[in-house]
Amino acid sequence: MAGVTLSKIVKSYGSLEVVHGIDLDVQEREFVVLVGPSGCGKSTTLRMIAGLEEITAGELSIDGRYVNRVAPKDRDVAMVFQNYALYPHLNVAENMAFGLRIRKTPKAEIKKTIAETAEILGLTEYLHRRPADLSGGQRQRVAMGRAIVRHPKVFLFDEPLSNLDAKLRTQMRAEIKRLHNRLNATSIYVTHDQVEAMTLADRIVVMNDGIIEQVGAPMELFNNPANTFVAGFLGSPPMNQIKGQITENGAKVGGAEIKVDGMVGNHIGRDVIVGIRPEHTTLSASDDTSVLPISLDLVEPLGSEALLHAHHGDDSMVFKAETNGNIAHLSGVSEVHVPSSLVKIFDAENGRALDLGA
Amino acid sequence: MMKWNLYSRGDKFFAIAVAVLIGMFTAATLYPFIYIAAVSFSSGFAAAAGKVVLTPIDMTIEAYRFILSDPQFWVSYRNTFIYTIGGTLMSMAFIIPGAYALSRPQLKGRRFFNLFIAFTMWFNAGLIPFFLNMRDLNLLDSMFGIILAFAVNAFNIILLRNFFESIPRSFEEAARMDGANDFQVLWKVFVPLSKPAIATITLFCIVARWNGFFWAMVLLQSEEKIPLQVFLRHTIAKLSDTEEFAMNVLDAAYGPETVTGAIIVCSIIPVLIVYPFIQKYFEKGILLGGVKE
Amino acid sequence: MVARWIWVRKAMAKEVSTDLGSENPSQAADPAPVQAIRNDRLTKTIDHFKREWQIYLMLVPTIIWFIVFLYKPMYGLQIAFKDYSIFKGVANSPWVGFEHFTTLFTNDQFLRAVRNTIEISALNLIFGFPAPIILALMFNEILHASYKRTAQTIVYLPHFISSVIIAGIVITAFSPSAGIVNTVMGWLGLDPIYFLTQPEWFRPIFVGTGIWQEAGFGSIVFLAAIAGVNPSLYESAVVDGANRWQMMWRITIPSIMPTILIMLIIRIGNIMEVSFELVILLYQPSTYSAADVVNTWVYRQGLQSGQYDLAAAAGLFNAVVAFVLVMVANTLSRKLSRTSLW
Repeated sequence: MAGVTLSKIVKSYGSLEVVHGIDLDVQEREFVVLVGPSGCGKSTTLRMIAGLEEITAGELSIDGRYVNRVAPKDRDVAMVFQNYALYPHLNVAENMAFGLRIRKTPKAEIKKTIAETAEILGLTEYLHRRPADLSGGQRQRVAMGRAIVRHPKVFLFDEPLSNLDAKLRTQMRAEIKRLHNRLNATSIYVTHDQVEAMTLADRIVVMNDGIIEQVGAPMELFNNPANTFVAGFLGSPPMNQIKGQITENGAKVGGAEIKVDGMVGNHIGRDVIVGIRPEHTTLSASDDTSVLPISLDLVEPLGSEALLHAHHGDDSMVFKAETNGNIAHLSGVSEVHVPSSLVKIFDAENGRALDLGA
Repeated sequence: MMKWNLYSRGDKFFAIAVAVLIGMFTAATLYPFIYIAAVSFSSGFAAAAGKVVLTPIDMTIEAYRFILSDPQFWVSYRNTFIYTIGGTLMSMAFIIPGAYALSRPQLKGRRFFNLFIAFTMWFNAGLIPFFLNMRDLNLLDSMFGIILAFAVNAFNIILLRNFFESIPRSFEEAARMDGANDFQVLWKVFVPLSKPAIATITLFCIVARWNGFFWAMVLLQSEEKIPLQVFLRHTIAKLSDTEEFAMNVLDAAYGPETVTGAIIVCSIIPVLIVYPFIQKYFEKGILLGGVKE
Repeated sequence: MVARWIWVRKAMAKEVSTDLGSENPSQAADPAPVQAIRNDRLTKTIDHFKREWQIYLMLVPTIIWFIVFLYKPMYGLQIAFKDYSIFKGVANSPWVGFEHFTTLFTNDQFLRAVRNTIEISALNLIFGFPAPIILALMFNEILHASYKRTAQTIVYLPHFISSVIIAGIVITAFSPSAGIVNTVMGWLGLDPIYFLTQPEWFRPIFVGTGIWQEAGFGSIVFLAAIAGVNPSLYESAVVDGANRWQMMWRITIPSIMPTILIMLIIRIGNIMEVSFELVILLYQPSTYSAADVVNTWVYRQGLQSGQYDLAAAAGLFNAVVAFVLVMVANTLSRKLSRTSLW
């Protein structure tokens, strides 16, 4: 059982506290992604788990062992760095063998492990090349290989894909997922890219300003964001957040009333934020939808769908619509239809999702 | 850079004039070496009469025969190799670990230690206290004393420290997670990554050792310990005292000038052999340190 | 210091035992008291040394070297204020206050050496400072790559030649009967001159030798500065119809001006540092009046005549003046390089 437990972890630099006592339980074999905007403390948290940063307060356990003051090398964790940190003077095989050699693993075993790992990663024919002679994707694989050969209890990834171009990133993302399914090792992955988080994670940890905003499975977070920050962070384009007031059946938004499922009756008159995902609206009405009139500003075709940039009162918003290979029909759109079951309501004051008991 | 064909007539004239001036300066730099080599291969009489201009007159290798048959020449040549190799290794043994430690942000008192070292670039006690200190340490007339006492200087340490600081942190961190301790991080990661910088500093050390003269002259008394440069100086000084020399070489085919020339040629040759290999490093090296403290 | 060290060792030993204890699950289950100890500053410091002792170990030899070979002589500088006797040693020689300095400032030879130091440095500055800049500007105009490369290789070379050899070449070339200089003067019908015995010739020869030896190597810094000039400046100048000469004056020189100024300030800061090794090799009693600098005077008084205390006082004077100049120069160049960034 190789879980990782963070309990009230705090990190300060002098008097500046950057991580404010976070709690997190990572299960064995779980793939957990820490995601958040830059400066939210996610990398610092990862580096504390790795042992590269001292933990100011709180407790960290790996595999049930208290490790606050254990050196990185004795924590049995491996890390893939953002810039890969491949040694330019060593070839691929030597780079992967570095850690094993330091640990005085027998030569035959090193050779065998390297061969196996290279096979898994498709690096067999590159073993004698230097990092400078590899493509970005290959370097990325070597960096992972270096972590894999050590058979660590926990893999740590620090924005490993951020140096790759968009196409390669998609490809490597799938590869990491495949690798995790195969190795089944506990992994903690840091990224600022919510798409990576959604696609890779068993559970996502959304961080902001040194605290955890929400933890949960990707679709859970997508469907039930705990607050406006999570709602705005996950999904592309993000959820539209429109100021409104609770009425008997839903929420009043400008001149329109949006029907909302659940017991809104308890909150009548309350100032709220109405959250509507761009992909949840339709252009035609059905039984459970309500009408939201909009003034269209711009249509951005993406291919099979298009983004409609619009505003309603002072709130600007974005919606997705099918194109059917043509966007001419979208230029006249003046209203969208919002399904009552998919609308989210947040408290306007603290941004938290209202419990509607739905 | 601009293509020649796109130059105007005036620019072409300017470029040619500059090329000629550079050629003249280069020739002027080179000439003294050619002159001294020509003197060394001339007869003592021709050299003494000032007949040598560009090529040897009455070509002979008598001067070389004279100098190469002097056992002291070979002793001092060997000593220079000992000082150069031993001294450079000693320098590296201090500088590399020292610079690494000073480059680590986790080193407590880092600012103080850096200042402690940099201060010696701005202020030093001078010749006399240094000499008396060497005497107190019993390092007068000691080969080991020469090797140790000139092993370190602030400039080289700061140069290498700056280079180490420019290496991304993640290299150290990756090695650490792989289980490397500081000595392994330094030896297996930082040293290979810093080859250009270390080569430059090695080069500075080698050149300084090969050319080192003043302190060797002051600190060493025994003939069997002196390096080539001191031997060279002794010989040149002895030769300029022509009266004494004239007694010995009255009818010889060599003279003070040709012997001086021969010693100079013999001691420059190793520099000339190594020079093309080191050239690519020192241009980088001088900029590496830059003006940064 | 020793006592303190032992204390740290003891504390470290204690730490090891608590560290082992913390792996005990029963203790891990009750984090509160453990945490209180862990976050204590002392514990952190000990932890730090336990974890990072290797870098301190790496630093120790260097620090000891600096203390033994550079700081201990600074302690020995006190003989400048003492009546130093070899038998009594540095610490036990009696104090005499500023007596040596009074002697120095009434000593004509010392005052002459101070004057010579400044004058030779000034000449070096006036003639030696522009040479590498001019050379770099000229190298920048050479189009033919291998011609440029070869010329650079040659002009850098003298920098790597020892002063003894340089002096040997100078002595041979300027010798009255055998030297090439007098040979050429003979062709022109001039009487031979024994250059190295005549004070009025010492400085031209010394400064000229310096230029010959260092101008090439010194140009590297300026060539690098020129290489850093944005090429589009030249391209737009070409489109505007400028010729190479104008580009040199209007673009290259203004662009490398910060480098020129910083190098100039550094040179001025080092004005007390005349390469005295070469002076020792080239001067003789008949040229002392023009050639003797502070360090050569210190060398003769201290190391040759054994007046250690007086010579140390002269050295201290030189070092203090040099230190002040270097500090002023540093401050200036730091200010300059900061402002020139914008």
